[in-house]
This record gives sequence, structure tokens and C-alpha cells, in this order.
Amino acid sequence: MFKNKDISRYTALIAFAVLFIALSFMSSSFLTTDNLLQVLRQISINGLIAGGMTFVILTGGIDLSVGSILGFSSMATVILINSNLPIPIAIIIGLIIGGLAGVFNGFFIAKMKLQPFIVTLASMTILRGLTLVISGNKPVSVASDSELFTKLGQGYILGIPTPVIILIIVYIIFWIVLEKTKFGKKVYGIGGNEEVARLSGIKTDRAKIIIYGLIGVACALSGIILASRLGSAQPLLGKGFELDAIAAVVIGGTSLVGGKGKISGTFIGVLIIGVLGNGLNLMQVQSDYQDIVKGAVILLAVLMDRFKQD
Amino acid sequence: MKVEFKGINKSFNGVQVLNDISFTIDGKIHALMGENGAGKSTLMKILTGVYQSDEGQVIVDGIEKKYTHPKEAEKDGIIFIHQELNILPFISVTDNIFLNKEITKGIFVKQKEMDQQARSLLNELGLDIDVTKEAGQYSVGQQQIIEIAKALKEHAKLIIMDEPTAALSEKETVKLFEIINNLKKQGIGIIYISHRIEEVFMLCDKISVLRDGSFIETLMSEQTTRNDVIRLMVGREIVDIYPKKLPYQDDIVLQVNNISKINKYQDVSFELHKGEILGFAGLMGAGRTEVMHGVFGSDPYDEGSIIVNGKKIKNRIEDSIKNKIAFITEDRKNEGIITEFNIKDNIIMTNYDSIAKKGRISNKMQNQVTTEYIELLKIKCSGLQHLLKKMSGGNQQKVVIGKWLNINPSILIMDEPTRGVDVGAKQEIYSIMKELCEEEGISIILVSSEMPEVLGMSDRVAVMHEGRLVDILNREEASQENVMKLATGGNNNV
Amino acid sequence: MKKKVLALVLGLFLLVGCGGASSSGDQEPVGMSISTLANPFFVTMKESAEKEAESANVALEVLDAKDDVAKQTSDIETLVNKGVKVIIVNPVDSTAIKPAIEAAQAKDVKIITVDRSADGVEVSSHIASDNVAGGTLAGEYLIEKLGGSGKVIELEGETGASATIERGEGFNKSVDGKLDVIAKQTANFNRDKGMTVMENLAQANKDFDAVFAHNDEMILGALQAIKDKDVITVGFDGTDDALKAIEAGDLDATVIQQPDIMGSEAIKVAAQLLKGEAVEATIPVDLVLVDKDNVADFLK
Repeated sequence: MFKNKDISRYTALIAFAVLFIALSFMSSSFLTTDNLLQVLRQISINGLIAGGMTFVILTGGIDLSVGSILGFSSMATVILINSNLPIPIAIIIGLIIGGLAGVFNGFFIAKMKLQPFIVTLASMTILRGLTLVISGNKPVSVASDSELFTKLGQGYILGIPTPVIILIIVYIIFWIVLEKTKFGKKVYGIGGNEEVARLSGIKTDRAKIIIYGLIGVACALSGIILASRLGSAQPLLGKGFELDAIAAVVIGGTSLVGGKGKISGTFIGVLIIGVLGNGLNLMQVQSDYQDIVKGAVILLAVLMDRFKQD
Repeated sequence: MKVEFKGINKSFNGVQVLNDISFTIDGKIHALMGENGAGKSTLMKILTGVYQSDEGQVIVDGIEKKYTHPKEAEKDGIIFIHQELNILPFISVTDNIFLNKEITKGIFVKQKEMDQQARSLLNELGLDIDVTKEAGQYSVGQQQIIEIAKALKEHAKLIIMDEPTAALSEKETVKLFEIINNLKKQGIGIIYISHRIEEVFMLCDKISVLRDGSFIETLMSEQTTRNDVIRLMVGREIVDIYPKKLPYQDDIVLQVNNISKINKYQDVSFELHKGEILGFAGLMGAGRTEVMHGVFGSDPYDEGSIIVNGKKIKNRIEDSIKNKIAFITEDRKNEGIITEFNIKDNIIMTNYDSIAKKGRISNKMQNQVTTEYIELLKIKCSGLQHLLKKMSGGNQQKVVIGKWLNINPSILIMDEPTRGVDVGAKQEIYSIMKELCEEEGISIILVSSEMPEVLGMSDRVAVMHEGRLVDILNREEASQENVMKLATGGNNNV
Repeated sequence: MKKKVLALVLGLFLLVGCGGASSSGDQEPVGMSISTLANPFFVTMKESAEKEAESANVALEVLDAKDDVAKQTSDIETLVNKGVKVIIVNPVDSTAIKPAIEAAQAKDVKIITVDRSADGVEVSSHIASDNVAGGTLAGEYLIEKLGGSGKVIELEGETGASATIERGEGFNKSVDGKLDVIAKQTANFNRDKGMTVMENLAQANKDFDAVFAHNDEMILGALQAIKDKDVITVGFDGTDDALKAIEAGDLDATVIQQPDIMGSEAIKVAAQLLKGEAVEATIPVDLVLVDKDNVADFLK
């Protein structure tokens, strides 16, 4: 069916198919419309973050602050809503906050030439602290009964959960940007070799700041959807989310060195992680074993990637 | 040490890369020459156990050997120093020399003893450096000597060197040759792989030529000429590798006025005419590359100005490109190409507008643009998806040229454009340069450490010494002797 | 130059931002080391301790261990070095806290443990409610509501945490032979995990009558997942959000731990210790089951 060489491009997809079929046999509740729609809704959170993370990793960077950006912007949005700001404005401000947090990262990485790992580690801590401060260490429930806000996370459009629709739209945009625009080409170029890109006339600093800003907006969107689903914002919301996002990108075949990878791969990676979590719950596997399985899958994915390079 | 190859055959994926190779290498300094892809490094990899031959024998000092790993060859004293040195930059010189072969007492490393041995090994090679410092702090030439010390520690009987002078200054090259000659006196054999024919004649006793996977001939270097060797390598006669170019026009396209950068260069001024090739000669560290980075804006100058076609321009990469200045840098792998990318994605990097309609990338246009340059520059490849890492140096360089032609340049800065490029591709690059000047009216700045290249190609030659542009010579005055004198700080009162 | 100025400005900004620590007069100093202030339960405990300290004229210094055993150890050292006479400790980990407590006691500092005990070391007083009893309370409530039989899903806390073990133990023992626990999965004590895990479990088990979660955060998450299902839901801790949910009729019940009483009790005991009075070795704080009938008493 595929040329010998091409088959390697589909390792993640094949792995997903195997997992999907195996789960269909192992749990009778897995292969139902309800459950599948629900999995899609669950993955939309990690999906949005991982989509942004793909850009960052393609440039050879990393963003550890995604969970904290998500937590901070969702908390800020809920607080703004509770202070009687119109919902759309509160959401837009929330998204802007996420974007600014990302631009903050990008500024230190691009202009001050600091390592992305260190910068985002710092902003992860700072933003988590700020979230605790503005929330007073307590969950903040959404006081408004606004349909609009509730619908964002809980509603359906044509029978499909709203977050899933948002996820699909965002991925289509990401795909177009990466594959069809000059900006996308620049992202790959920077990851391939930043110095070559700079000497070729690409404004590498500006592109990096934009990319970190972009992932910030994606995290904020993800956080606002999650807050809508929960009806509240939690001080610790998003803690540890960076791991699932990075794992999804890597499982999807994007190289941590940068320059190589596809947004479609990330989507598969997100699906694998989501379906795996759902399946393990359905089969009532104990949590400690769940961790072992998840870790093993990540390792396996990277291994397969390794072999396909040779 | 005497090494005999008898009927060596080797193929990869059905492609024959070595074809019935039989010849003998004995002691002394033996050059192995041939164009890229001739099979030199495959043969050496078979000798050192990296690959195994499909057929044939390798006989070392009368005994047939079938090495399956470089370690086994090392035990017999056969050591391969690769072009990309195996020096770890962040550990000390001593630790590099003793890597994985540390002198120990129980679980503890005897650092002092190792330092001492490292020092005396390097002193024997005439290098007096602090062995406790990180190896990365030393120059490529010094690192090369560290590699040789590593080989000597293993009691080398035969050292294989692949393009050892590719990144060395002239001074360092002279030093390396001294060391190689000393090794020869100690009875250590050298196999010397190089494209630089001048060096080979200076250094080597015998020259074996490979072409297209076959052994052609072994010549005594005293009884042959450079042209003979080149003819054997390329399989045809080469009359003059530097094409005769038409004179340049009077219009000034680039005027560099008194640019300076602290600790790098001072008060550099020159003019470039339409259709001219202006050579830049000088010793390593004279500041030529730094000036080019200043002109291009990739490392802006502190003072001065640049005028392109009568217009003063900002000293930024974007503005240089907008004003049709292109810059082929000397460090191809780190500054010119993305080795993990294919031809297509490398060529378009300087000008995404050339392949986009209303901001949307068009695959069709990208293919068109790439195909155009593959044909124009005769780039050898299996298709548009051919990865740069799987290309020879010459072809990689053509991709870099293509990438810059894609901005329709009027000024092309070429820094060491033929470094690591074989003779055949070199000649092609020269004729491309000539055509660009004559037919497109492009002006070229050629920075090169190869004196014959600068003298052979340039209309005028600018000579730099310690950060200053000392003089610009016309073609008629630019003899090797005159240029050398200026480059080393002497004055030009000939 | 630019970079230096920026670094300086940033540094100043951070310094100013971190100002405003607590001050004290000539009151007797008492230290408090809390496992984490990222959990509303302990925030309530801390706030009530602070309130009580003010009225009892005790200078209280509270340090947040951020759920980090090592930080808590150094926090306790810091408090000892500052010369406090009594430290109220809410251990991050019951076993790992032992050396720090012993070191403090060696310098004649009295120790009171709150909520979680310290293993293998004797302290002046231990103030806590019994998690096992709390689990039993929840179990008995469900038995009564379901009329003696039914299917229950249990959302467990972080695997291996003492609260998870004890609450689970009390609950399972009490319902054993009466109710059928058809599924048990961890949701790590957090709300978004509680929602996701509940969604998945509800797919696997279409038919169930009740959900018990080891804390309120998880049950509040689970409520989002099973909005349209008519099942009985019980949480644990009695956080503000949970109480509001009971009042609104979304949540059926929670077991309340009364962290405010723990906080104020701890200060009272500390004050006694400062005066050299004898104190009780263990002071139990009652657990209460809160449902629609009595929720009004607990809402602030």
C-alpha cells in the first residue's frame, strides 16, 4: 500500500489504529458514539496546548509554562466574569493575558538569548504564584449564569461538543499556517538551523516571540474551556499539563531538536494519549499501573521514531 | 607498515562503490586522491573495520585481516583521524586524549599522571598548551595535533588523515606538515586524503588515484605533474581551471566607506564595480570574514557607511537582502545550509516571496524555482527531496549559490566558496562565477585563502593585514609574492 | 548595558513585590508549618489559627511547605532558629517529618501536630479528626439513602496518601456486604481529573446509584460529568464550593472536617503550652456529615 520508505511516516497513525482496535475488543463501552465524543472533548484541552507546543518544539524550543499560563488566564477570566465584565470581553482579555505571558517568554528567549527551558521554568513558577495570589488559594466559581460561557465548554453544535469544534478549527488554522504560509516555512527554518535562518534574512527573533505568544493564546483558550466545563477556576489548574502536551508532540513524531515534524502527527499523539487514558479508566486499571503504561507508550513512540530515522 | 588491497569489491543497496581495487601502500606518506564519490573514504572505512568488503582481501604486514570494528584496527596500530575531529569541546585536553582509556588506580582516575603524559605527548609534537583546559578553547589546528597525540598514545603505525588542512590556516598547515614529516622519520606511515593538490605534492611520496570506485594508478610524486594527477582524477585533461573573464564596467555598485568594528577591523574602504570580481586575500585572522559580516549586516559595524547603487543603506540583514546583496558564508554546515532539509526547503530560505501567492506558499512554484536552479547550476541529486546531508560538498555549495541567486542579487559575497569542494565542482563554480559577472552583470567579492584561486579569478585583489585593508592591487600587479608580502605586513615597494 | 538595567529593574520589582511580612511585638512567638496553602482546607485552617492567635495575643508565624518534605524540614529549622517555643506542624508526610520534630524537641521546642500525625515520635498534642471515622460516616449515609443496597462508584485520592487509605478503609468497611462498590479509580484529589475520570467511568458503568469521592474537589468535578444522572453524591472536606453545591441541591452531602476548629484548637493548645500548663495528648475534632438539612449552619 505504501512505499517502503513512506510507511515510517505513519508510525504514529498505525500505533493509534492498533490501540484503538485493541481497546474496542477489550472494553465493550469503548466503541460507542457517546464515549468517542467524550474522548474528543477530553482531548481538546491537551490538544490545544500540544498544537501550540508543536510550533515551539519545531523551532527547537520548549515551553514548560503552559500549565501555569492555562491556570493563570483561566483564573483571570473567571475573576473578570465575576466582576460583571461582559463575557466576550472577559474571554478576550483572558486570551490576551495568555498571549502576553507567552510574549514575555519569547522576549527573554529571543532578545535576551536565554534558554527556553530556563525561561519557561521561571515563568511557570511565577505565573503559578500569581494565580495563587489572585485566587487567594481558593477555587473561584463562575458566578454568572451566562449561557455563552457555559456553552463554551459544555455545549454542543450539531451534536458535536463545542470544545471539539474549537479544537478542529484551531488545528485547521495551525495546519494552514505551518504548511501553506511563509511563516510556517520560517518556523521550520529556525528549527533546522537558527543561524542559517538568520543569515538567510529571516527575522528569527520576531518569529520566536510570535510563536511563544501563540502558544500562550492556545493555553488561555484551553484554560477558559476547562473553566467553563468545571464551572470554576482552580488555583492549581493545569499543573503537570506540560508533560502530556510534550508527550503528544513527541509521540506525533516531532523532533525535540527542531525543524522536523507535523501538526497532523501531534493530533495523532493527542488522540493516543487521550484514548489511552480513557481506555485504562474504562478497564479500571489501577492508577499506578496507568502511569506505567503511559510512560511505556511514550518510550515506545520515541523508539519507533528513532528506528525510522535510520 | 605495509597494507595490500587485493580485489576489493563493495556495494551499497546494489550500487557498486568499489570495483576490484588492488594496490599497495607501504610506509612513508601516501596520498589518496580522487573526486568526491571516488571511493576514498569507503576504502579507508573498510581498512579500519567500519565497513566490511563484499569480496577481496586486506593484507596488513603479510597477514590477512578482517576487521569488524575500528577498535580491532586500532589494536594493530591503524588509526583514522576523521575530517570532523572527534574532540569533545567541553572536557580537558588530557581527558580527550585519554577518553575511555583513563589511567586508574582502583576506581580513581590518576589525573596528574595523565596530565603529565598528555603534556609530554604534545610536547613531542611541538605543542605547548595547558592540558587541563577545555579542548574547545584551542584552535582547529591545535585540536588536530591533540588528535594526533591521541593516535600516538595508541602506538600508531599507520595514521589515516582525511582532509586534515581543510580548516587550518597556512601557518598551522606548515606546522602540521612538520609533524607529519617527523612521524615519517619515526617510521609511522601516513595515508593522506586531500583535494589540495599543492599540498599533496609538497608532502607526499606517492600518490594513488581512485576514480568512480576503481583504482587508476599509483604515481611517485617526484616523477609526475599536477596536471597529470588532475587528468587521472577527472578522467580528462584540464587546461586551465580559472576561466578568462571579460573586464568589468565602470559603474560602482557598492561603496564601503571607512567601516570599523572594535577589535576586528579598522577603517576599511573599497569600491566594487559592475561585473567585477574583487578578491580578498590575507592570512587567517586578518579580518576578511568579519568585514564581510559587517558589510552584510549579520554582525554590524560600529562606524562607517555603505552605499549601494548610490543609496546609503541600513546595516541590517533584511536591508542588505532588499538591496540585492547576497552572502555565501565560509562555514557552510553551520551558516549556509540546513543539512537535515532537502534542496527545496534550503533554496527558498532567502526569498519566500518567490514561491508565495498572496502569502500562501505554492508547492508548484517551489518546485519550479528549485528545478530551475538544479538545472542552471547542474546540481547532482535524485530529485527535489534530496537531503543536503547526503550530498557532496560541491553540490551543497551549489545549493547555497542557488539559494542566493533566488534573491536576484546584484552583489554576491563569496567567503571560501570552494572549501571542501573537489576539483571538478570547483571548476564548475568558477565558470558559474564568470557567467554571473558577464551575463547577469553581478559583482562578486571573493574571499579565499587559496592564493591561486584569488589570483586566478579576481579582477583586483584587496589584501588585509591585522584588521586593515592595506592595498588593492590590479590583476597585473597581483603576483603571489606581492600579495604575500602585504598579507604578512611588509610594504609594497616592488 | 540595556540588559543590566533591565535585570536591575526586574530585581527591584521582585523585591518590592515580596515585601510586607508579618511583624510582632513582645508577644510569645508560635510557629506553624503547613503542608500546603494551595489547598483551601489548609487555608481555612490557617485563617482560623491567625484569628485565634490575635485574640489570644500570640505572635504567629506561618510557613507554607508547598507539599515538599524537604522544605518543611528546613521551615521547621528556620522557626527553631528564630526562637519560637511552640511549633504547630501539619506534616506533608507522616514518616518523613520525624527527624525534624526530634531536632526541634532537642532544643526544647514543643510540637503540636494537626490533621496528620507524626509517626514514631511523641508530640505534646495531636489535633485531628479521624479519617477512618469520616469514611464510615459517608458509608452509613449512603446505606441509609439507598435503603440498604445499591451500586457505588468510588473516586479515590492520590494513591498511597494516608487520607486516601483511611477514608477508603472506613468507607469500604462500613458498606461491606450492603452496598456494591462497582468501580474504584483515582482522580488525584483534583477537580479536572475528577471530571475526566467520572466521564470515563460513567461510560463503562451505565448503571450506578451513588458516587463517593475522597475529597470535595473530585466530587465537584464528577458532578460536571454526571449532571443529567440521578445519583447520590458524597464528598469529603466541606469546602466552600461543596457547601454551596449542597445548598443549591447539586451535591447531596459531604463529610466536614472542620479545619477552622483544628486551627483555633491548635492555638489554644499552644497558648497553654507557653504558659507551662499540661495539655491533652490527643484532641479529636468532630467530623460532621453535612447535607441539605444542616448546611446552613456551616455556610459562612
